[in-house]
Amino acid sequence: MTREVRTALVTGAAGGLGALAAQRLAAAAWDVVAVDLDAAGLARTAARSPNLHTRVCDVTDPAAVERVAAEAGPVQRVVHAAAISPLGAALEQPLADVERVLRVDYLGTVHVARATMPGMLDRGRGELILFSSLAAWVPGYLTAAYASAKAAVNAFAEALYQETAGRGVTIRCVCPRQVDTPMYRRIAAEHPAATGGMQGMPPGLVLDAVDRSLARPAADLFVFPDRLTRTTVTAKRLLPAATRRVIGLRTAPPDGRADRSP
Amino acid sequence: MGSTADKHVIQGEHVTLPVRIRDAAVASAMFAVPAAPARAVIAYAGLEVAEPLPGRAICSLAFVRYADGDLGPYHEFAVAFLVRRPGAPPTRRMKGVGAFIHWLPVNQEFTLEAGRTIWGFPKELADIPMDLSGRVKRCAVRIGGRTVIELAVRPGLPLPSGTGAPKIDAYSCMDGVTRRTGWTMAPSGVRMRPGGATLRLGDHPVAAELRGLGLDRARALSSTAVRHLTMEFDAAEEVGP
Repeated sequence: MTREVRTALVTGAAGGLGALAAQRLAAAAWDVVAVDLDAAGLARTAARSPNLHTRVCDVTDPAAVERVAAEAGPVQRVVHAAAISPLGAALEQPLADVERVLRVDYLGTVHVARATMPGMLDRGRGELILFSSLAAWVPGYLTAAYASAKAAVNAFAEALYQETAGRGVTIRCVCPRQVDTPMYRRIAAEHPAATGGMQGMPPGLVLDAVDRSLARPAADLFVFPDRLTRTTVTAKRLLPAATRRVIGLRTAPPDGRADRSP
Repeated sequence: MGSTADKHVIQGEHVTLPVRIRDAAVASAMFAVPAAPARAVIAYAGLEVAEPLPGRAICSLAFVRYADGDLGPYHEFAVAFLVRRPGAPPTRRMKGVGAFIHWLPVNQEFTLEAGRTIWGFPKELADIPMDLSGRVKRCAVRIGGRTVIELAVRPGLPLPSGTGAPKIDAYSCMDGVTRRTGWTMAPSGVRMRPGGATLRLGDHPVAAELRGLGLDRARALSSTAVRHLTMEFDAAEEVGP
């Protein structure tokens, strides 16, 4: 075979979006370094896939992320899907949970970008795909910590784009609405009201949107993977107060101030 | 059943049958081709092409991305012909018709060995770049850096879920042994249209066979794209002469 083997680093690869992203890249004959805290989940993702290598690593540990990136060698694509989203009221969620969300979702993103971007910028090519959320644009009930962390990811992506534009590395910040992953199903079962009874969109459609976005101009930083996500973001920009009210009504607890029958 | 065990060791891993595919995506095109040369192409298997129209056989080209399944993640391209159940009389009816897999390149070693060992599928190693994310689905098969075939499938109209073939027989022939494999499919997100396929053939022997069937000039009967597919493959059984 004369093909050029490309390497991808995928975080959050034990399940959900990260696992599917790793498997699709492995199917396309990429060399994939799949990263997660969950060793058993990683093993499931990598089953019978000799070109999918697993590394147990906590993205909140900058030295560990640095080591994994160094071992991976020159990467062409980084898919950073590792994230957590425990829900809790803005004034009541335990501070330790708030801090943990910021460490995993925001600082994890900073660590992954710092470990991989310099090499891609040196080589003048690469793709950094960060997973944010629609919640960063339209926070609802119980999403204060999660939406804040993802809004920080959005701002980080935008600043990073400003500082590195034109140097050959494509950055994408993907902001899907609810995605049908094991994590989302668990949260939706626990908090049916706060998730608005929404059925998650299939993870494959989110990844299709990411693939298509890579053909668009570099400045097209944010990816909104389906029509409902795009419509919601547009509505928030054009009609912020009305959109906020609709999201409030859709995500309020049944006994909350914005009363809504269950 | 008899001859084939339902457990196999492939590259040190135990593979249990039925083999389950939890997430795959497919694009395919069906062509009506002259029956006589099609019959000649598959004569080595001792099977008869189905002729839904007099003198016409059906050749199907498909490309598949296996993301999550018992054989690992890989890409595959398939050249198949619709065939009559062995011993069944010639009929226009499509009931009992199976798919004879004539050529099945894949891009990963595990599935290569599993496919050849467990079912006698004619798998060989190739580069199979594929784009299933856009409206037009594209795939190429390259061997030794040379292009064998390129296929593009344009978007069709959505079909209600639950349509499509739930269970068919897949036939294969390796080293003179013809086998039948029960193959169950559950598709969702299916889009279909008449025509809709663009094909380019290279200089591989299989490309020459397809050119001999007129595929380089043919308009597809139909093109189909399946966003999400789960499948099961049973053990293979030998088909008597």
